[in-house]
Amino acid sequence: MNWIPYGPGALLFQFAEELGDAAFDKGRAIASELENHPPPGITEFVPAFTTVLLEFDLSQVPDPARIAPAVAARLEAVTSENVPPAPIKEIPVVYDGPDLARVAEHNSLSTAEVCEMHSATVYKVYMLGFSPGFPYLGDLDPRLHTPRLASPRTRVAAGSVAIGGEHTGIYSVESPGGWNIIGRTPLRIFDPDRAKARARPEVIFYLRHGDRVRFVVVKRNA
Amino acid sequence: MDAKVFKVLSRGISASLQDRGRAGWRRFGVPVGGPMDDHAADWANRLLDNPPEAPVLELLLQGAKLAVLHDAWIAVTGADAQASVPTWRIVRTRAGDHVHFPREISGVWIYVAVEGGFAAQRFLGSASTCERGGLGRLLAPGDILWRTPEAAFRLVPTVASRSVAWSERRDYNAPPPFRVWPGPQWNSFSAHERESFFAHEWTVTSRSDRAGYRLTGIALKPQPAQIISEPVRVGSIQVPPGGQPIVIMRDGPTVGGYPKLGMVDPADLSWLAQCRPGTSVRFQLVNSS
Repeated sequence: MNWIPYGPGALLFQFAEELGDAAFDKGRAIASELENHPPPGITEFVPAFTTVLLEFDLSQVPDPARIAPAVAARLEAVTSENVPPAPIKEIPVVYDGPDLARVAEHNSLSTAEVCEMHSATVYKVYMLGFSPGFPYLGDLDPRLHTPRLASPRTRVAAGSVAIGGEHTGIYSVESPGGWNIIGRTPLRIFDPDRAKARARPEVIFYLRHGDRVRFVVVKRNA
Repeated sequence: MDAKVFKVLSRGISASLQDRGRAGWRRFGVPVGGPMDDHAADWANRLLDNPPEAPVLELLLQGAKLAVLHDAWIAVTGADAQASVPTWRIVRTRAGDHVHFPREISGVWIYVAVEGGFAAQRFLGSASTCERGGLGRLLAPGDILWRTPEAAFRLVPTVASRSVAWSERRDYNAPPPFRVWPGPQWNSFSAHERESFFAHEWTVTSRSDRAGYRLTGIALKPQPAQIISEPVRVGSIQVPPGGQPIVIMRDGPTVGGYPKLGMVDPADLSWLAQCRPGTSVRFQLVNSS
């Protein structure tokens, strides 16, 4: 497994070359390993599509590069066999976004076909990022791939379901954004109010790295 | 004893409470947050014997005005905005006073600490407001700032003359070269381009905020121009297709798909944060032998 130092006190490991089932399963296994058996001195880890960042407390691990080969070997060895299967979480969506027609036109589809295709796939949460709880969902049907907007919107509402290039995702908080908005979900996938209390991550973030997602079509005004 | 310390009469351009930020939540996409200039913020707390994690008030540039509601020891550090109280030293403010910051002279971020620290709502274990992440909100006129209930400042005889040594006060207009560690995509930049990056001056642009500082200078052309999105650390120098670098700051994204030439050393990033638009900055590679 390749690794590289990333500034003081951190290492970046690359566990896959490209997106796909193998990368997803390996990422889940690594996250589970790091959560359940954290290496000594680790302060934080951040999993992404094909890489994972490990940060260390410099007072405990002054030179992480020295332990990198051992950590790499350990992460190399983990498999998803003993990791519980990724749960499938349902997200209700009203497909009435302002860019639905643009996505349809770009791909020579009807808007109905876009909804049908978008809700037919079970997606993988490869990583959370951009905003708190924003899921990067892989495995978007190639017939729906659509370039980001040339000029991003200054405000995208929380709950907007969108397509950005070859990914789909859900805006978790109101923020600027350049993805094509095709729908909206009433579900709060990130709840800042719950983040006030000493709540467990599960109740603050609806989705976690390693989950799977299915969009369920809801009619307007339903 | 808890007490109302300040009433915000004007927040100026922006004002928020910040502590040292939140660790352990980046895998959920939550930025680290915390004071843009932790060097100045830490000194404000140290002057008052506050714990390092005590929340401080962070003000952006000039214009903020605070009414003092209760006698208190405070400390003001960071940017120079002609504060109505002495800065970089401990100050006794009296109920009825106004503390204001009329005119920006140098730097960007001002810190105000109060004995014991400000009371603050915590999100994910931290009082750091991250507006972009929906965590807390910026302060607004009429807001009351409280001291923490457990605040107990023990006066020592020399307290009234306590100040920060001149050697610790930084020149925000003429910073030294900032130290840079090689980034994950170091090899996506040609040797010539890397040399140019360190040889040239860069200018901080006005398109800079708590998420990132955009620099302008020579155009960089990494190959490949995009990567599979991966974790991004605060301080990273990422280069989007336009070729002009963005230094990721404390409220910046936790992941990203642009090549990263390097990472500004955390100890120097706080100094870069105080560089106003138009400031020329340089970088030097750390000796990482």
